[in-house]
Amino acid sequence: MSAYNANWSLMTPEIVLMILALVIFTLDFMTGMSRNKPFLGRLSILSLLATTVLVAVFNRETGQIGDMFVVDGFAMVLKIVILLGVAGVIAISMYYVDRHRDVYQGEYYSLLLFATLGAMLMVSSADLITLFVGLELLSISAYCLAGFKKYNGKSTEAAIKYVVLGGTASAFILYGMSFVYGLTGTTSLVDINEAVPTLFADYPYIMTMAIMFMIAGFGFKISVVPFHMWAPDVYEGAPTPVTSFLSVVSKIAGFGIVLRVFFVGFESVYDEWAFIFALLAAITMIVGNMIAIVQRKVKRLMAFSGVAQAGYLLVPVATMVSLDMTMSMITFYAVAYLLMTLGAFAIITLVTEDTEDDALTSFSGLYQRAPYLAIAMTIFLLSLAGLPITAGFFGKFYIFVGAIQAEMLWLAVIMIFTSIVSFFYYFGIMKQMFMRDPKPNDDQTLSVPKPVSAVVTISLVGTIGFGLLANVLTNYFNNLQWFF
Amino acid sequence: MMPVTLFLALGAILFCIGLYGVLTRRHIVVVLVCIELMLNSVNINLVAFSSVGPVANVTGQVFSLFVITIAAAEVAVGLAILIALYRNRASIDVIKHDLLRSS
Amino acid sequence: MIQNAWLIPVFPLIAFVVLLLFGRVLREKAAYVGITALALSFIFAVAVLFERIGGETYTFVVDWITFGESTVTMGYEVTPLNAMMLIVVTLVSLVVHIFSRDYMHEDDRIHVFYSYLGLFSFSMLGLVLAPNILQLFIFWELVGLCSFLLVGFWYYKPEAASAAKKAFLTTRVGDVGLLIGIVLLFNATGSFEYADAFAAVEAGLISDTMVTVIALCIFLGAVGKSAQFPLHVWLPDAMEGPTPVSALIHAATMVAAGVYLVGVMYPFFLASDTALTIVAYVGAITAIFAATIALVNHDIKRILAYSTISQLGFMMLALGTAGYVAGLFHLMTHAFFKALLFLGAGSVIYGVHHRQDIREMGGLWRRMKVTSVTFLIGALAIAGIFPLAGFWSKEEIFASVLANGDPFLFAIALITAFMTAFYMFRLFFKAFTGEFRGDHEPHENNGFMTLPLIVLGILAVVAGFVNAPFTGHALEGFLTEGIAVGEQAHGGFGLAVVSLLIAIGGIFLAWVIYGKRSISEDFLPGKFRAAHRLLMNKYFMDELYTVVFVRPCVGIGKALYAIDRFIVDGIVNLLAVVTRSVGSGLGKRQTGQFQTYGVVTIIGGIAVVALAFMLRGYFG
Repeated sequence: MSAYNANWSLMTPEIVLMILALVIFTLDFMTGMSRNKPFLGRLSILSLLATTVLVAVFNRETGQIGDMFVVDGFAMVLKIVILLGVAGVIAISMYYVDRHRDVYQGEYYSLLLFATLGAMLMVSSADLITLFVGLELLSISAYCLAGFKKYNGKSTEAAIKYVVLGGTASAFILYGMSFVYGLTGTTSLVDINEAVPTLFADYPYIMTMAIMFMIAGFGFKISVVPFHMWAPDVYEGAPTPVTSFLSVVSKIAGFGIVLRVFFVGFESVYDEWAFIFALLAAITMIVGNMIAIVQRKVKRLMAFSGVAQAGYLLVPVATMVSLDMTMSMITFYAVAYLLMTLGAFAIITLVTEDTEDDALTSFSGLYQRAPYLAIAMTIFLLSLAGLPITAGFFGKFYIFVGAIQAEMLWLAVIMIFTSIVSFFYYFGIMKQMFMRDPKPNDDQTLSVPKPVSAVVTISLVGTIGFGLLANVLTNYFNNLQWFF
Repeated sequence: MMPVTLFLALGAILFCIGLYGVLTRRHIVVVLVCIELMLNSVNINLVAFSSVGPVANVTGQVFSLFVITIAAAEVAVGLAILIALYRNRASIDVIKHDLLRSS
Repeated sequence: MIQNAWLIPVFPLIAFVVLLLFGRVLREKAAYVGITALALSFIFAVAVLFERIGGETYTFVVDWITFGESTVTMGYEVTPLNAMMLIVVTLVSLVVHIFSRDYMHEDDRIHVFYSYLGLFSFSMLGLVLAPNILQLFIFWELVGLCSFLLVGFWYYKPEAASAAKKAFLTTRVGDVGLLIGIVLLFNATGSFEYADAFAAVEAGLISDTMVTVIALCIFLGAVGKSAQFPLHVWLPDAMEGPTPVSALIHAATMVAAGVYLVGVMYPFFLASDTALTIVAYVGAITAIFAATIALVNHDIKRILAYSTISQLGFMMLALGTAGYVAGLFHLMTHAFFKALLFLGAGSVIYGVHHRQDIREMGGLWRRMKVTSVTFLIGALAIAGIFPLAGFWSKEEIFASVLANGDPFLFAIALITAFMTAFYMFRLFFKAFTGEFRGDHEPHENNGFMTLPLIVLGILAVVAGFVNAPFTGHALEGFLTEGIAVGEQAHGGFGLAVVSLLIAIGGIFLAWVIYGKRSISEDFLPGKFRAAHRLLMNKYFMDELYTVVFVRPCVGIGKALYAIDRFIVDGIVNLLAVVTRSVGSGLGKRQTGQFQTYGVVTIIGGIAVVALAFMLRGYFG
């Protein structure tokens, strides 16, 4: 069989990351139960960075292993985004786990690494089975992480909600997949793509239903309205760095899988499903932004903001003119989203931990307590809202241009109007930071741990840098061969 | 009528029972069992397609093996979280768990 | 020199960066950093202007971003129009920098103030130099952000904070239009360059409807930024910011950006009669609408703010009636005399210890000599008295409205001019003549505050000469060079006399009521009580917007949230009832929170699918 003489070196990054994750897991056993283990965090970041380098080295050429595992431009870019995102999350976590003695450090980091591995597998798979395995590796690790503060009622409650709803979503995806497999007789996405046009002609209802089931399941993973209900609760209950993991890495990986399945597996029947995505994008942008206005807790607000951002990301999926353009729009926005959300969450983690309060008012007087953080946060929020000269603006503008070119004016207008609405609630945070005095029992100056300030600075430079020099990325993306 | 249709009907019925259970049972263990039921309906579909489907081949059985394994992992994690929850609240009744609401 | 035009915005940017880094150390010396930077910019701008007068349009661009097939460039361009704008912006910014040194010296965040001013000057100059509309949009948003920062500079005042937010969000509405217009333009021409857009229109590549739609979308941006009706509501509130800011941003430069935008895109507007007509009517309505409010207001800065809105309306009116040069000429003269008036008002406010109500002033003529004289010059200029700047530009506007507009527009223009003269001199007589009615004895300010007034005062006198008949309409020759904007109308001696008489009439009426007091101040308000009340409340526009936009927005959010969380319980209970009727004997509310979510999710999913199918026509 072809798998035996396949080019296994393509999988080097995954294999190395797995070994490193296991090493960290083992090191944790060997160093006792409850001590502080900052070296594990550093080791994890190093592992991720090493893997990033390996991805850049081994995944430059496209290739595949027996129709199951493919390496192409899309896989490479998304893997790098995911790996750097997790590295950022771990940098934030190091501050967090030091403050919470009930969090087992080794397991925490190795779970994050396993989740990363799952995400990497997901974006690299060209087969429903590998894709599903990767997805579940990510999801199951995420369930554990959400409930990682096991003596905290909110955290475990978030985890159980996440498990039950996530499991149901998985069942929906699988149910849809089972029909796709049954009618095409294959689980390879490329073969499915060849078979579906005739199947749609023969069994339109079964095929549409199968696609709907998969959209529902994936929609849950990327928290798209109306499958978003879990997000605010889980985001609120989970430890804050885990929240950032869910909203950054898990969401980007989820988009990776959506793009892979729909643009490789169902590309030949684009017209059959694009409209549903357009509808979902519209509802998601409206509902996400509107509900965010009335939120009073910063993590819930970020949850709805994340829902709205997922809506923006869906717009190019629904308005494809050329595949290359669409992919480069989504990937650009994914990079921007990674930078601005990660930066914002780094600050949110610091502030909510410091004030031990997750209401919006915990940000009051941040400008006086830590001016740099307040300014950085403002820029992240402006980027999320889409103001020049940030990466978020160019991402949105790019998507907007695409939507107009596809002559989906209504979607473009909804996008732009809901982004104005988003100013309302982002202003809420800014108002707290700049226009309120610090609370009396907070420290006058907020000390910023090095890893957190590193994440903030890198995100800040990236957010502004890619806003000014967007062409660095877009030129690179334009010359990329997205799919194998 | 294709021979596979009956199996699919069984799968659909199981899926619906599972979904109904997830949405209405108040005992979390039962809820987890119902998720298992939904996943097993998928297995029935896969195996049925694999042996009597329009394009019968062995891939479906491989797929169902993966599904079984992963379902086991998922339930294991679910139960572990359930135990943590029980220690915190001394209850596994779903109604009691609503700390997470907005202001 | 002209190749180095990019340095003009860079100097203020350097000032901004320096103040950002060392502001806390420099404190009050921050003023000198800003003043030096702007002085350099001004010198460069003058050099660039002189070089441009003899030379040609200079463009420098590099490739920036690739959108599919087309490439967006980044760079700068010196055209006659923006050479003129560079002078206006750098000069006004420079005098405001000088003025602020004393005006703001009591504030311990003066370095922050100067850094914001630097950032604003950079953004505004960048806007002016932008060679394509996308780059313009980026700076357009940046000036909006700076305006937000500066209006909210005294953020601890709740009015300032909410005014800043209002200014930002209201102009965003216009920006949406602009953005849509830009992208539609890009879609139609495949380029963001001005020249490509004009060429496409000329070649008839864009359908007439599309030209109108794009022009109107772009105009919507201008309406927001230039505070035209109905998006004008933010500008009066923006007066909560420090007065020098009002002079710089909300009188001379940023609010004029909307007019500048229409000016830059003028060949495009010319291709659509509908768009031009709408521009003219919006301008005319704004002009008279704001002028009527200014008639009754008591706040010195708000009167000037409404006057600004009204004058911007005049500029739009001119542009809408093919008066390309007239509109932009008025932009320039207005920048000088309105900045003068605002700084004069700032000087007054500072002199009377931060009072703004003209009822608490009076008799300042003898106490603040320089301020009073320069303010009088400004007032005469805006009223349109020969030979001051406002006379020449206003007369040009009348000429183009008379030539290309309908009589209705001309009537509005004349009535507004009358009102302008009236409310300016109402302000002047109440604040500067008669007895002092405040409690702290006012005093004249020192040179840092009066020098800018004198400079602007001179400009308010002479700036009009550049386009006067006796200089052969020099500005017109300069601005229309190499750009097809059609024939510019000129008024004759008769029109000049009419406009002069109207201005004098307005001043005379103001003198009768407020100077000589032959008619009681309360006579007219008493006669027209309802109208007075309407004007005092600014036509209830703010209240209207609260009811029509703000509340529904928050309401929808709340409603959706309620659906998201609570109404769902009803569905779940329904499910319980169904279950019970099936016979399992379960009680009420049998499900936990996540099950509720599950039910919503599934119902929502089914609804989406059904909707999608319905729209696709699957159900027949």
